[in-house]
Amino acid sequence: MSQEIAHWLDNLLEEIEGIEIRRKSSRRVRVDVPADALPALLELLQGRAGYIHLSAISCVDWIEDEEFELVYHVWSYESHSLVSAHIRIAREPGVYLSVYDLYQPAAFFERDIHEMYGIHFEGSPNMDKFILTEWDGPPPMRKEFDSEAYINEHLSWQAYNPPWLQALIAEGGGVVIPPEEQRFSRKKD
Amino acid sequence: MSSINQIPVIEAKKGNPLARVFDELVRFCRSRSLFILHYCTGCGAIELPPAMTSRFDMERLGIQPMVSPRQADILLITGYVSIKTLKRVILTYEQMGSPKYVIGICSCTVNGGMYWQSYATAKKLDEYMPVDLYIAGCMPRPEAVIAGLQQLMDSIHAGKANSWEDYYRNYDYYLGNQQKLFGDNWQTPTDVIAEAKHYNLLSKGTLGVHTRLLEQHQQPLEALEMRLGHNLKEPTE
Repeated sequence: MSQEIAHWLDNLLEEIEGIEIRRKSSRRVRVDVPADALPALLELLQGRAGYIHLSAISCVDWIEDEEFELVYHVWSYESHSLVSAHIRIAREPGVYLSVYDLYQPAAFFERDIHEMYGIHFEGSPNMDKFILTEWDGPPPMRKEFDSEAYINEHLSWQAYNPPWLQALIAEGGGVVIPPEEQRFSRKKD
Repeated sequence: MSSINQIPVIEAKKGNPLARVFDELVRFCRSRSLFILHYCTGCGAIELPPAMTSRFDMERLGIQPMVSPRQADILLITGYVSIKTLKRVILTYEQMGSPKYVIGICSCTVNGGMYWQSYATAKKLDEYMPVDLYIAGCMPRPEAVIAGLQQLMDSIHAGKANSWEDYYRNYDYYLGNQQKLFGDNWQTPTDVIAEAKHYNLLSKGTLGVHTRLLEQHQQPLEALEMRLGHNLKEPTE
């Protein structure tokens, strides 16, 4: 049964130009499409193949390619399979179309991605702040945002050898591995 | 004996001779009836249900959970405090009645823990409020939590757990750190300076640059609008 659906799905997907299909397993398909073909693909998947559940939209920041990768995971309750549609959009200006008209839960994911990566989704119902309501810095999940530099500027660290720790060391406790050896970014060669 | 001044007078000792006994009694009672505020921030909170319930049974030490900050004695910070949460933690802390004690559980409250690199979590809890005791570990077992609470009980009994006074004595320092993180407009509904006067703890560190900044930005508090349940729903169009 699932073999049949898989075959039928492959035929369906080949209707779209510039598509690259990689079958990961019998229940999992990775599809790479050009960004402008994605709404058509999702419409096909939803309307003709029963992929009615948008599980998530994930985002990857490829800073060296100056691109964002958006991954739309859609699930079918009929064939119990997941299709992950990958697209790449330019990092600047970082604008893409909302799929809210196809999948309403997309509003939630798009708002989240907008907050974390600064990608603007045209047609999404709400692009306000979501979780980071009290944050006015840059979108923190972008690769160019240096979290460590930010915290070194805004927050301070506990002293490495505070007096209360020396009392613990006297009792046989204390820090076994110093932070220089634990934290890769602070490691000295 | 020509003058009244020559009559020998045995001067009474100043103060109440029973005061020390009374203080001792108060401290004993205080250390044996502690209420933990039921407010948990991070993942360390998962160690509290076994510590409170029959497995480890904190109640045998006289420690119980309490639902409102006004009635609680101990504020347990059980894990990372994101900056957003830290605001709520400070509001809660200021609402608690003195004497109050803060315990930081888990590595995150000591130095950021595994979230040391995160832009969203505060690293040193004792910059923003005085902490009586840290229980390190990621995360500490209920035995460690109970051992820590026993240590707090001992220091309350010995009269050493006075860090809540430090918040009033050095309010300017704590407020300065809070303003650095939350911006100059930071303001809490509690009038800490008036409370410091009330407790007779107004000292050199209470007022300073940061409290003056607070006065500049301070806006009078307004009562919250009262609405009945059925009015909460916005009219839909």
